[in-house]
Amino acid sequence: MGDWDGVRDQQLYLLLSEFCYFLMVLEKTLESPLDFKEIQPYFGHLMRRVDSLENTPMLGGIGDKMDGKERVLCRMISFYACEMVLEEEGVYGDVSCDEWAFSLLPLDVDLLSMELPEFFRDYFLEGDQRWINTLAQALHLLSTLYGPFPNCYGIGRCAKMSYELWKRLEEEEDGETKGRRPEIGHIFLLDRDMDFVTALCSQVVYEGLVDDTFRIKCGSVDFGPEVTSSDKSLKVLLNAEDKVFNEIRNEHFSNVFGFLSQKARNLQAQYDRRRGMDIKQMKNFVSQELKGLKQEHRLLSLHIGACESIMKKKTKQDFQELIKTEHALLEGFNIRESTNYIEEHIDRQVSPIESLRLMCLLSITENGLIPKDYRSLKTQYLQSYGPEHLLTFSNLRRAGLLTEQAPGDTLTAVESKVSKLVTDKAAGKITDAFSSLAKRSNFRAISKKLNLIPRVDGEYDLKVPRDMAYVFSGAYVPLSCRIIEQVLERRGWQGLDEVVRLLNCSELAFTDMTKDDKASSESLRLILVVFLGGCTFSEISALRFLGREKGYRFIFLTTAVTNSARLMEAMSEVKA
Amino acid sequence: KYELYSMDWDLKEELRDCLVAAAPYGGPIALLRNPWRKEKPASARPVLEIYSASGVPLASLLWKSGPVVSLGWSAEEELLCVQEDGVVLVYGLHGDFRRHFSMGNEVLQNRVLDARIFHTEFGSGVAILTGAHRFTLSANVGDLKLRRMPEVPGLQSAPSCWTAVCQDRVAHILLAVGPDLYLLDHAACSAVTPPGLAPGVSSFLQMAVSFTYRHLALFTDTGYIWMGTVSLKEKLCEFNCNIRAPPKQMVWCSRPRSKEKAVVVAWERRLMVVGDAPESIQFVLDEDSYLVPELDGVRVFSRSTHEFLHEVPVASEEIFKIASMAPGALLLEAQKEYEKESQKADEYLREIQELGQLPQAVQQCIEAAGHEHWPDMQKSLLRAASFGKCFLDRFPPDSFVRMCQDLRVLNAVRDYHIGIPLTYTQYKQLTIQVLLDRLVLRRLYPLAIQICEYLRLPEVQGVSRILAHWACYKVQQKDVSDEDVARAINQKLGDTPGVSYSDIAARAYGCGRTELAIKLLEYEPRSGEQVPLLLKMKRSKLALSKAIESGDTDLVFTVLLHLKNELNRGDFFMTLRNQPMALSLYRQFCKHQELETLKDLYNQDDNHQELGSFHIRASYAAEERIEGRVAALQTAADAFYKAKNEFAAKATEDQMRLLRLQRRLEDELGGRFLDLSLHDTVTTLILSGQNKRAEQLARDFRIPDKRLWWLKLTALADLEDWEELEKFSKSKKSPIGYLPFVEICMKQHNKYEAKKYASRVGPEQKVKALLLVGDVAQAADVAIEHRSEAEMSLVLSHCTGATDGATADKIQRARAQAQKK
Repeated sequence: MGDWDGVRDQQLYLLLSEFCYFLMVLEKTLESPLDFKEIQPYFGHLMRRVDSLENTPMLGGIGDKMDGKERVLCRMISFYACEMVLEEEGVYGDVSCDEWAFSLLPLDVDLLSMELPEFFRDYFLEGDQRWINTLAQALHLLSTLYGPFPNCYGIGRCAKMSYELWKRLEEEEDGETKGRRPEIGHIFLLDRDMDFVTALCSQVVYEGLVDDTFRIKCGSVDFGPEVTSSDKSLKVLLNAEDKVFNEIRNEHFSNVFGFLSQKARNLQAQYDRRRGMDIKQMKNFVSQELKGLKQEHRLLSLHIGACESIMKKKTKQDFQELIKTEHALLEGFNIRESTNYIEEHIDRQVSPIESLRLMCLLSITENGLIPKDYRSLKTQYLQSYGPEHLLTFSNLRRAGLLTEQAPGDTLTAVESKVSKLVTDKAAGKITDAFSSLAKRSNFRAISKKLNLIPRVDGEYDLKVPRDMAYVFSGAYVPLSCRIIEQVLERRGWQGLDEVVRLLNCSELAFTDMTKDDKASSESLRLILVVFLGGCTFSEISALRFLGREKGYRFIFLTTAVTNSARLMEAMSEVKA
Repeated sequence: KYELYSMDWDLKEELRDCLVAAAPYGGPIALLRNPWRKEKPASARPVLEIYSASGVPLASLLWKSGPVVSLGWSAEEELLCVQEDGVVLVYGLHGDFRRHFSMGNEVLQNRVLDARIFHTEFGSGVAILTGAHRFTLSANVGDLKLRRMPEVPGLQSAPSCWTAVCQDRVAHILLAVGPDLYLLDHAACSAVTPPGLAPGVSSFLQMAVSFTYRHLALFTDTGYIWMGTVSLKEKLCEFNCNIRAPPKQMVWCSRPRSKEKAVVVAWERRLMVVGDAPESIQFVLDEDSYLVPELDGVRVFSRSTHEFLHEVPVASEEIFKIASMAPGALLLEAQKEYEKESQKADEYLREIQELGQLPQAVQQCIEAAGHEHWPDMQKSLLRAASFGKCFLDRFPPDSFVRMCQDLRVLNAVRDYHIGIPLTYTQYKQLTIQVLLDRLVLRRLYPLAIQICEYLRLPEVQGVSRILAHWACYKVQQKDVSDEDVARAINQKLGDTPGVSYSDIAARAYGCGRTELAIKLLEYEPRSGEQVPLLLKMKRSKLALSKAIESGDTDLVFTVLLHLKNELNRGDFFMTLRNQPMALSLYRQFCKHQELETLKDLYNQDDNHQELGSFHIRASYAAEERIEGRVAALQTAADAFYKAKNEFAAKATEDQMRLLRLQRRLEDELGGRFLDLSLHDTVTTLILSGQNKRAEQLARDFRIPDKRLWWLKLTALADLEDWEELEKFSKSKKSPIGYLPFVEICMKQHNKYEAKKYASRVGPEQKVKALLLVGDVAQAADVAIEHRSEAEMSLVLSHCTGATDGATADKIQRARAQAQKK
């Protein structure tokens, strides 16, 4: 495991099973799946690609070009829609249609992404459940490849629905996984709306910072000329194979520079060894080490360039102030001052996305804005960034990201209504505006319960992190990661009732343990964490840290890698 | 030759008075009494009766259609009745009418003179000789393709005999006219002559093709029988029986791969087996008999008995030949002696072992057992085999075990009540799967299941398949109530893997039992299977809830689009209302495809909030003209009021105002104002020097002071209008302090201006401001004055190199001092 051979094979299987022309219909969100080196050699020249169904002009008229050998591969969901288009084109009978269960994209040794950034908006805003099936299929695929999961935990409505659907799939096609040795001991499903706070914070570990600054897409990033210190931009794959990156990705940014310069010195020292070598040694050096050193050198200069570029950007925006405000919000002091800061932020038109993010952070940590602030901040925002954001606010309210503190009684009324719906079996599957309306974050209480704000005695040494809080400069332990830690420790939700209640998930937290003696102790150390709605690199870093501390190994499956800006853009009605 | 059964039937007429058809592989027998070729009593309708091979009646029905020329069984054991008008009626084993098809117009006009049903690799074919002496045939009745054969030159009367042969997967007709033989394929008619035919033949009276279409036998008017290959390239043997009367039937009787060739010829009272020997074997027939060719022999049945005539297989012959010294025979003997506790057993055994033939002996016994019809005989042979096996070290047991299993199965189906007299050879040819199908066809479900369980067939192929068939049969019993049927089926089937409830339900629906089908679908675990059928049965709403339960959105979509076409809009929306998941899905669909429908949806739900959002969106996306956009916004604002969202309503109204104003500004000043935010509008105004208008706008829209200051500050700095900025800064006390002034000046690299404002910055931010303009020394002084630890370290961090050395020392001293206190 780690090389994800099984997953890759599964994807290729469909492609290789028949030799014919392909017409690929892909969701436009997928950045560049055809760059996969596995596929290209086989089919590069045979494939014609249609990026998206919305791009119907591309599909339209394909009827003329078809010669009956084409095969249409669709990502799961558009299957039906694709058939309709083909039917309209009158070529439906001539082509064979297949679903390409392109559900899992291995981005790294411990990270699988479904590359469904639209999941977040579709599910958490529109209440659209079409992806749940895709999710369940993906889980099913994993369990056929890596054996059944003896311990399952989850929290959140989407998690529960996916889990149930997955179990149903498993029942329908039973036999395959039974009796296999489980390779992954635990699986943890977590809805993004359990913890918006973590996702909304500015990231300060290196990988997160790179994502925030340059945007990592499908595991690779475009470094512009200011980073490469040449006139070209460069596409760089960021994963464990990049040795330099692998060492700094989880580090707090303040350490990265020091580390890189140390590294540069080492490198120089190694280069320097050339001097005073005789011919034979030199030959050895050139044939064996030089290439590696060169490679390392290249990567090093890239990352140093990236760091410089990040520093430049961040100081310009008063990054320190921003972080300070965020920490104040998380800890819950000086709310007035923070609110003023946000207002100033809006007034100065710093960035629509950033302003929105801060407002949401304020709303969630404070359990909604007080009505006066709610109105005034919104008014300010509309004045600054345009009135069309009225729709954005309506979206945010629906998703529970930006709400107004309501008088207690009306809220409980709605809440009871929702809980009634929840108990009803059929209605249990409803995600409607209602439930999110009643969503109260209770962040303060949860934070106290789970001790998310570490007590700081003196300076927090970011070089030698004590706990997961280091990913936020020691100010805050990511809620999502803390939940996972606690549940794994307790092997379930016992003793966390209060937290679960505060998360509004009394009915939506589940554990499913099968007594399975076949699970080796090694597999029990392996934990698959599934983020429904996306996860951030900070969370990944935090859990990697937790894994090192506790001797676990975490693997991540996410609908997409996300960050605060992506979340906000998903909610925003105004497309940049 | 041995007797299979004494027939159980109670025939009123002689066989010769009936049309008879018996299916191969121990299949059923069909009799059509009172055929039309006899001078018929006008009133009596003929009766079609179907019996099992043991004479157990399976069905009986009054024939109501037209005159039947010929009967025959298809490979699927369906009865094909060829009528005079060329219509072929297909009946099931139990006399249930299946379907009918016609053999074409030409046949209809010329009537059917004669017809044959024959078997090919693809299924069963029908060949017809019409009144115009033309042939029409179809090679597969399952997939009907009629082929009209070419004309036979000079054919004026019906051929004396003809038959359908099948070679190289193509069906031909072989016919005899007088002394000539013709072979008809679809292209041509060619005359053929069998090699080595004895002279003096003036006509062929009878011809017979073997079961496998390999051999052909011809009976001539001289009483001469020619036997050869069907290709007519090779002659096998000939025989002269000296009987000139045309035989009633002539069929081949030989087993596959056997060298002996033999033909059975039947006359009224005589049965003759002729082969490659000068002598023939003759049997006397006491009764009217009928011959059924089989793969490895001939079945002969009459009113009272049913017999099987076959060539004795090699293994049996070796063992049972009188005074045989074959190893098998010796082994059998040895075993018998052993049972008698005689030492002779040892002698026999030793004899075999000395020859080293014990394995063959065992093999022979096993093989012979397979060919025995009587269980007693089977037993003794198997016992001998098992006895012999004991003296062998490494004899693979599976042939013995399998034979035992096969024999048990065979004995079971040969049972009188079941009536399928299969031989071992036929059974192997037929395969167990087909046998099970035939049992199912005879509705012998329990036996079939027992066989499956006995042979440990995998459930999917075996038991569950049979149960599914049983269930399909069950739903056709119209006299039982829906509940009972559903319950009975569920009890029997439970969760047996491989049983598809939806298939059974589809069958029930096919029988018009929709309610039952729905009940059965309840048991179907896979929603993907339920939904399409429910849709077909027009239970769309049920289908919708099932689809939703499944969580498969693609399925939900399918149903939704179906529903949308099926119901009128109002009903459709009402249905959606009760299904929130479907509703949200449909909303998503509408957002992309049908915006108007989306509006209607919101309208129906009185969802004014969303309606407002909808109109706002429309005002940006759909409308081009200002008037249209304002109108859309107005609608939105109204909706927001209805939704009691006053904030949104107000904001929308402001937007309307702003739009109109921007329009006016564009008209008056030129440039672009539309779609700018309020802030940007004001900024643009300031940048273009329209300060008055900007002030006015700020007042009209109640822009708060703080924002206005930020706005002006930024705009003026951008213009580098330092004079105006200074004026502005002095207009009144700044609501945002003066630090921003310093910052913005520094951003424009105007240190001179920055310093002006630094002095006006309030005490809390003074240090910061001084640091910004680069006055470290003064910053240090202020910090020390404030006695603020934080400020001092801030300044210290800005101290660089030698220039600020003194300042740094100063701070350190102050610090030390502070600590002392």
